[in-house]
Amino acid sequence: MLIIKKYIPLAIVMIVGLLTLATYYVPAKASQAYLSTLNQWEVIVSGFAFLLGLISLLMTHYKKIVRHEDGWGYSIFVFLGFLAVVIPGIISHGAQADNGTLTSLGWSFRYLYNPLASTMFAVLAFYIVSTAFRSFRIKSAQAFVLFIAAFILILGNVPAGQMLWDTLLGWTGCCSISDIIQWIMQVPSVAAKRGIMIGITIGAVVTSLKIIFGIERQYMGRD
Amino acid sequence: MKDRLRRFLNIDRRWLFLLLSVVMIWPIIHPSGIAGRTTQQSVKDFYDFIENLKENDFVILGVDYDPSIKPELQPQAVAALRHLFRRNVRVCILTFISGAPGLIEEIKQTVPQEAGKEYGKDYVIMAYNPNYMAAMTQMSIDFYKAYEKDAEGNTVKGMPVMKGINTYRDMAGVVEITGTGMLDAWVAYVGDKYNVPIIGGTTAISQLGYGPYLQNRQLLGLLGGMRGGSEYETLTGRKDKATSGIDALNLSHMLVIILILTSNIILLVLKEKN
Amino acid sequence: MVNNIMKKILRLLLCISAVLTVQTVYAGQAGKTAAQLIENATAEDMPYDSGGDILLRWPVDKNAEGIIYEIYAYNTINSEKNAEKNRKWKLVDSFPAFEKTADRMRLPFWAWKHNAGEYAVKISLNSIDESATDGTAVEFIIKAVKNGKTVAESRVLEAVSEDNWFNLPRLNGLIMVIIITTAFFITVSRARKQGLFIRRIAGLDAIDEAIGRATEMGKPVFYSTGISGISGVNTIASLSILGEVSRKIAEYDSLIKIPHYDPVVMSVAKETVKQAYIEAGRPDSYRDSCNFFLSSDQFSYAASLDGMIEREKPAACFFMGYFLAESLLLTEVGAATGAIQIAATDSESQLPFFFTSCDYTLIGEELYAAGAYLSREPMLLSVLKLQDFGKLFMMISVIAGGIAVAAAAALHCDAFVNGLLNLFTNY
Repeated sequence: MLIIKKYIPLAIVMIVGLLTLATYYVPAKASQAYLSTLNQWEVIVSGFAFLLGLISLLMTHYKKIVRHEDGWGYSIFVFLGFLAVVIPGIISHGAQADNGTLTSLGWSFRYLYNPLASTMFAVLAFYIVSTAFRSFRIKSAQAFVLFIAAFILILGNVPAGQMLWDTLLGWTGCCSISDIIQWIMQVPSVAAKRGIMIGITIGAVVTSLKIIFGIERQYMGRD
Repeated sequence: MKDRLRRFLNIDRRWLFLLLSVVMIWPIIHPSGIAGRTTQQSVKDFYDFIENLKENDFVILGVDYDPSIKPELQPQAVAALRHLFRRNVRVCILTFISGAPGLIEEIKQTVPQEAGKEYGKDYVIMAYNPNYMAAMTQMSIDFYKAYEKDAEGNTVKGMPVMKGINTYRDMAGVVEITGTGMLDAWVAYVGDKYNVPIIGGTTAISQLGYGPYLQNRQLLGLLGGMRGGSEYETLTGRKDKATSGIDALNLSHMLVIILILTSNIILLVLKEKN
Repeated sequence: MVNNIMKKILRLLLCISAVLTVQTVYAGQAGKTAAQLIENATAEDMPYDSGGDILLRWPVDKNAEGIIYEIYAYNTINSEKNAEKNRKWKLVDSFPAFEKTADRMRLPFWAWKHNAGEYAVKISLNSIDESATDGTAVEFIIKAVKNGKTVAESRVLEAVSEDNWFNLPRLNGLIMVIIITTAFFITVSRARKQGLFIRRIAGLDAIDEAIGRATEMGKPVFYSTGISGISGVNTIASLSILGEVSRKIAEYDSLIKIPHYDPVVMSVAKETVKQAYIEAGRPDSYRDSCNFFLSSDQFSYAASLDGMIEREKPAACFFMGYFLAESLLLTEVGAATGAIQIAATDSESQLPFFFTSCDYTLIGEELYAAGAYLSREPMLLSVLKLQDFGKLFMMISVIAGGIAVAAAAALHCDAFVNGLLNLFTNY
């Protein structure tokens, strides 16, 4: 039992991990074919896994409705939304347009899904304003530096801000706000980002080695 | 007085949401039309790349964003496609995002007709492919192994638009408009590996992350968010949705600045009083 | 006097004849040299690739000003159909002299000799013929054309393209991988039982506080693994933290809810949480329904989770993994409900949002170190040391490499500069 639950999965992870790493250094057609096959298997597994997720989702909300748990009314919308897209999709065979005319799936995509998704993204703008109001308060030296950088970037990114800068400080003959923003974006920001990226990459490399060589086994559950 | 100031500092965020709504709706009703004063270098580079393409060159246009980011990125994609058509460049539109085909359909219904371009002859739209790594790798060996049929089920090989195209070597470059990390994938798996010129359009928040790529010339041009789209529209000479959104962007930025300054001044006043 | 005049005329004649001779030799040599040089041309399989390319080489003629080289190809698979005289040679490349020399090839010094005295032209089989594939012989002719006339022509060259088994330009990367892997094994084999010092990470220390608060308030703990799939290393790191967090929750007899973006991650998380409950000695407290799938769409996931946070008002929210734009949507709603929020992500564009709206934020690699930090397993802690050495190596490379390249450039040691840059370039 231990062989099936522990050793075989670990062996699969190690062999596939090392082979995939090797394909980067082996340009032969066999290596390309291996990668291509692996990608196809991933797509197939994802397809079946999605089915699993869908069943889980529908069962969870069905139980909520049946038991009249808190918020069970919202669970009805899960089923309504699901049917509103799946049924048109089946009727129109997955096509969103037919000779320039919108099918029912195209209609539900354009007039239901598009506005809802755009709305969710638009809500971000409101949250950014409330976060900015709450968080950009100067309580330390680092917060002050953050405040100045954010202030200059926000000001310089809009025409009104550029006009304001030129009116107040244009007479000094100093660099324009765009130059300052360009410098902030290209020098300290990129430097900080590169530093973080290097750290993340090294962490990812070490974690990958831990996974390939079986030291990190959380994903399988321990025996 | 102190209590009022403290209450203002802890104001219910819904008042701020209401204020922002008013500030953003106002310029839609009464546009101010304040023009941008500068153009970012990455936008100029994006424009120059397409402007320097020759007639009949072949370019891949990746439309890899879903409807949630449509307001920010669709104007970029539309402007880029118009520019490519103006240069009489052949365009292959493809996507690896499941939510994008509907958006491509929207573009297809307007832009090609305006430019007088014919499907199959001047442009083609490939079917959605969920496996970007496999597709990007396959296109380096044989384009038609990655894309046998287009989005409508027609065989792609033999179409006039695909004449002489077999791999990346036959293409002039890739224009990738995305809100996901797809641009990183194009740079890593295609641009660096096969020396294919890549230019991109992305959201404003992701723009900073591509600084290293622009510096190393792994990315030859970049449009960042609505501002980048608006500057690009100005360069191409056709102002559209990106430019019309700039007014709202303008005022909302000013609101954020005012709110931040106000909260800090109040904090300072409260500190002094204490 | 006559002798003097004769001598002068003789000298003049000698000069004129010398000039004419030199010009004749020069002209003859230009034509003769170009032909000879193209005659030394070779065609071979392009090394280090996956097939589909042929490499043509011939020496550079320094007197080739104004010459255009044209390369013609013919796929011999068509030989049976076409008689020799009816062969249709296809022009596959054409370039002016002194371009496409071997020193312009983007290959490192250990895989390629950057010789400016030789042309090295890569021809793709796709540019010849649709039926040209690896294994079929392709013939080439190189012509030197000046003012529309062919001044030289090579013999017919034949080559067969094939795929190669080793990408030598990537040797630098392979050596680096071997060094890292060796260091990894050495570190693991020397794992000390008494544990190593790790600096305090406030966000991870606060996990106990967060779970304690949840137990006191009788509210659940929400844990999000992010929007990446199981193939993401960040998700695996998140799952290792989930194991530790679940174990603590099981010990405190509190409630955890883990909404998922990816169904595969959900299946794996189920195993992880179940195992954690078993290890804590609370297998009966485990509920399968604590792991549930929400949506594979970014904003649908955010909307659903926001709604749950708003309604259930959890005591603590953990956001561990890869996040994009939905990060602020989630954390802002959590902050509004008064939950303790701990975030860890390697998505650097979202770090500012997490910083401003969460109580504790782990930056980048701290996500990968968290599993070792929480479990305090000697082997995992030792591997953490490897991460630190890796960063140290990077810092030294950047500083020393920068100084070396700057100094070498100032001293005009181009070969050293190029060599050093080659070593640190990915091919």
